[in-house]
Amino acid sequence: MGNSKHLGLILLAPAGVFVILFFLAPVVLTAIFGFTNMSTATGISGGAYVVNESTMRALGERFGERELAGRLLRKSYVIDEAGLQAARESGAEQATIEELREKYLGRNFESRRQIERLLKKLDNRPASIRAIKKIAASFERSVVNIRFDSPEELVAAIEGYGIVLSDAQRQALADVSYTGWVFTTQNFKTMMELPDTWRTMANTLFYVFSTLILFNTGFALVLAILTHYMPEGPAGFFRSVWLLPRITPPVLYVLMWKWLAWDNGFLSRMLEPLGIAPRNWLLDTPANAWTFVILINGFVGASMGMLIFSSAIKAIPQPLFHASEVDGASRWQQIRHIILPQLRWPILFITSYQTLSLLTSFEYILLATDGGPGGATEVWALAAYKKALSNYGGALQYGYGAAMSLVLVVIGVVLSLIYLRLFNFKALTESPKIEQ
Amino acid sequence: MLHFRRTLTALAATSMLAAGSSAVAEEVTISVWANQGATENYRIDAIKIAADLLEREYEARGETLKINVEGKVFTSWSEFKQAVTLAGEAGTAPNIVVSSHGDIAPWAQAGIIVPAEDYVDLDAWPLNDIYPNLLEIATYEGQVWGIPQDAESRPFFFWNDYMKAIGYTDEDLAELADRVRAGEYTLQNVLEDAKKMQDAGLVEPGKGFWPRPTKGGDFWQFYMSYGGEFATDDGRLLFDREAMKGAYQFFVDAVNLGVTRKNHLGTPWDQWHGALTSGQVGIWHGGTWQYSEWTKKYGLDFFKNVTFTLIPSGGNERGRANTLTHPLVYLITKQDSEKEMSIAGELITIASEPRINALHAIKSAHLGITRSEEKVSLYANDRWTREATEVLLPYATAAPNNPNFGQYFEVMMNGLQAAWTGQKTVEQAVADAEKELKAALGDEIVFR
Repeated sequence: MGNSKHLGLILLAPAGVFVILFFLAPVVLTAIFGFTNMSTATGISGGAYVVNESTMRALGERFGERELAGRLLRKSYVIDEAGLQAARESGAEQATIEELREKYLGRNFESRRQIERLLKKLDNRPASIRAIKKIAASFERSVVNIRFDSPEELVAAIEGYGIVLSDAQRQALADVSYTGWVFTTQNFKTMMELPDTWRTMANTLFYVFSTLILFNTGFALVLAILTHYMPEGPAGFFRSVWLLPRITPPVLYVLMWKWLAWDNGFLSRMLEPLGIAPRNWLLDTPANAWTFVILINGFVGASMGMLIFSSAIKAIPQPLFHASEVDGASRWQQIRHIILPQLRWPILFITSYQTLSLLTSFEYILLATDGGPGGATEVWALAAYKKALSNYGGALQYGYGAAMSLVLVVIGVVLSLIYLRLFNFKALTESPKIEQ
Repeated sequence: MLHFRRTLTALAATSMLAAGSSAVAEEVTISVWANQGATENYRIDAIKIAADLLEREYEARGETLKINVEGKVFTSWSEFKQAVTLAGEAGTAPNIVVSSHGDIAPWAQAGIIVPAEDYVDLDAWPLNDIYPNLLEIATYEGQVWGIPQDAESRPFFFWNDYMKAIGYTDEDLAELADRVRAGEYTLQNVLEDAKKMQDAGLVEPGKGFWPRPTKGGDFWQFYMSYGGEFATDDGRLLFDREAMKGAYQFFVDAVNLGVTRKNHLGTPWDQWHGALTSGQVGIWHGGTWQYSEWTKKYGLDFFKNVTFTLIPSGGNERGRANTLTHPLVYLITKQDSEKEMSIAGELITIASEPRINALHAIKSAHLGITRSEEKVSLYANDRWTREATEVLLPYATAAPNNPNFGQYFEVMMNGLQAAWTGQKTVEQAVADAEKELKAALGDEIVFR
C-alpha cells in the first residue's frame, strides 16, 4: 500500500511541475507585482541609476539639493590623457589618438557634437560613425544620461569628477536616480480612493450574478429539464444547437452579434420600416449594452451547465420516475421532488465554477463593448487587463493591474467558501449511509 | 536565458573563427516591427531598400555584408506596444521599432531603447536636413532618441455642398481656413452649422458633426482649442481644468444638440470612412493620412467636395486654433550586439533619404520629414501633401515626451467617454479625472 502511495506521487510529479509553473507561480507573481509600482517605464527586470533633468528636479524638490543637482547636470568635455586612454580602450586607432593628442590635448568643449565634428576633420578620421561616437564619449566629464547598474558605481563616477558627496547626499541621489520599480502599497490606496473602482466592482457583481442566475445555471437547468422530457432525437438536436455558441470562435461569434446590432445591421434594418430610427443597439444605452453582454456570455455559458445537468438527470434511476408516475405525480412535482434534489451537487459545482470563470472572463466584453458606453460595462477583469497590458499610449502599469487581479483572486476564494457553506458541502460529500 | 544566449554567441563566434572569417560572408539579421495600415508598407519596406543600398555600399568598399531584414506587421497600436514592451523585457526586442514619439520616454527609462544619436550622424545628410521641430519631438532628456519616420496632422473637414446649401459662398469656403486660424470661426460655429445642415435635411440627425470614431490623440486638440497645454515649463504634465471642461462640454453640447450621437465612439472605421466619403456627414475631423484611404479606396474627389482647416478655437479667451502632429520615429533597441545596433543606425539613416521617405509620404498621405523631400518630384507634384504641409504643419503641436503621459491620456479619454455618453456630468468627469491623476501621478502633474 505504502509503495503504491509513493508510486502515485512519482507519477504525478511531472504534472506537479506544470501546476507549480503555470498555476501557482503566476498567482504568487501577481501577488508580488501587486505590491510594486512596476510599469513600462520602470521595467520588470530592474532599473538603472541615471542623472538627468527629471531625477535632478526631484533631488532639488524632495531633498533641497538644488545646488548639487545643478552641478551634476553640468556637462563638460575635455581631451586629456585619461580620455585618450579611455578612447584607446574603446577601440580607437593609435594614429587617431596620436593626432588628437598632438593637436587638441587640454582643449575643453561644451557638447559632444563639437568633438564629433572635430573628429570628422582629422587626417586619421575614425572609419565609422559609431567609432566617432565612442571616441567622443570617452572625453565626457559628466554622468548625465549614463545608466549605472548600482548607486556605488554612480557615486564613484561622480567622485571621479571631483564632486564629494555626503552620506545623506549619496542616499538621496540613490533614491531619486533609480529608474526601476520599488515595493509599495500605494496601488491599494489608490484603488480605494478612486470613484471608478466602486463602479467597476458594482458592474462586475451585476455581470457575474445576472449571467450566472439567468443563464449559466438558470437557463441551463431549463434546457436540461426540457430536453429530458423530449424524445431522444430532438433532445440531442436541441442540445447540439445550444453547444454552437460555445464552439464558435469568440471573435466570429461576437462579430455576428455586432452585425445584428450595428446601426446599419440586421436589427436597425428590420425596425426601420416600423419607424424606429437606426441606431447602434449594442452601445445605445447602458441597459442595451448590458443586455447584449449578458446574452452574449449567457448563450456561451448555458451549454456547459446543460451538459452537466442533463447527464446528472440521466443518472437518476428510472424506477423513481416510473414510481412517481404510478403515484400520479405531475411533471412539476417530478421536477420539484425528484430532479432538483438530485441536482444539488451539479448545481453547486456549476454555480461555483461559473462564478469563478465569469469573474475572470472578459474576452467577450472586450470584443463586444470594450467596457462602453462610457465605462458602463467595464468589469474588474477587463479593467485589470487594460491597466496592465493594454494602453493606447503604451504606458502599461503592471503593478496596478496585478493589484487589481489580486483583489479578484481574494473575491474568488471568499465566494467559493460561501458557496461551500451555502450548499452544505460536507453533507453532500458524506458517504451514503445506506451502504455502510 | 542570458547564459544560454551568451553560450550560443560564444559557440557562433568560435565556429566562425574556425571557418576562417575571410571565407564567411558576414550575415546579419535585422528585425523591424511596425504598426501599419494598408498603405503604410514603407515603414518596413524603407528599411529593406536601405539594406539593399547598404549591402552595395559595403560591396563597393570591398567588404561583404549580407543583411536579412525581417519585418513584422501589427495592426493595433495597443497590441503593438504591448508586444514591443514585453519583448524588450524578455530581451528579445526587434532591432528597429517604428513607433510613436510618445513611447520614447517610458522605453528610454526602462532601458529598452538606446539614444539614436549615439548611432547616427545628425550632422550629416540626410539627417541634418530633417525639420528641426520634428527632431525636437524625438528628443527626451536632451538626447535625440528616434529618427522621425513620418509626420502628419489632424484637420477639420467640411463637405462643400452642404456648407453652400446653408449659405456659404465659394469665397467663404476659400477663406475658411484663414478664419479658423484667426479664431473667427469657432467650435460653436461648427455646432451651429452642423445643426443647420441637419435642420435643412441635408444630413440625417446625428450626422451633422462626426468626430473620430475611436479613442486617439485627436481629442487632445479640443483641450488645446480651449487653451489647454500639455506640460509646464519644467517638464511636468499640466491639467488645465477650464480647458478640460471646455473640451468635454463641447462633445456633450454636440450630443444635446443632436448633431453627434452619444454612442459615436466605437463606430467601426469602415462605417465611418464610408459615411463621410459618400456625403452622409456634414463636418468631421480626422487625420491627413486618411486622405489616401478616402481617395483610393472610397473614390472621394477630395478637392471638389471637401474644405479642410485647423481645429477651430473653443471661442474662450485663451482658446486657439490648433492641430496635433504625432510623428512616428525609428527607434533602435538595446541589444547585446554592438554591431547590430550600428547597422540599425546605418539603416534608419539611409531610410530617411528624401526619395525613400517620399515613397511612404505619398503612398500613405503622410507629410515628409526633410526639407529636400519638397524637391523630389513625386512629393512636389502631390497637391494634398503640398497644401496640407502649408496650411497645417506650421501650427502643429505635439504631445510631450513624458513617461507618465500614457496614463494621463487614458484618464482624459475615459473622462471624455463618460461625459459624452452621459454616464457622468462634465463637472463630475473632470473632478474624477483630477482625482485619479492626483492619486496616480502625485507631484508629476500640476493642476491649474
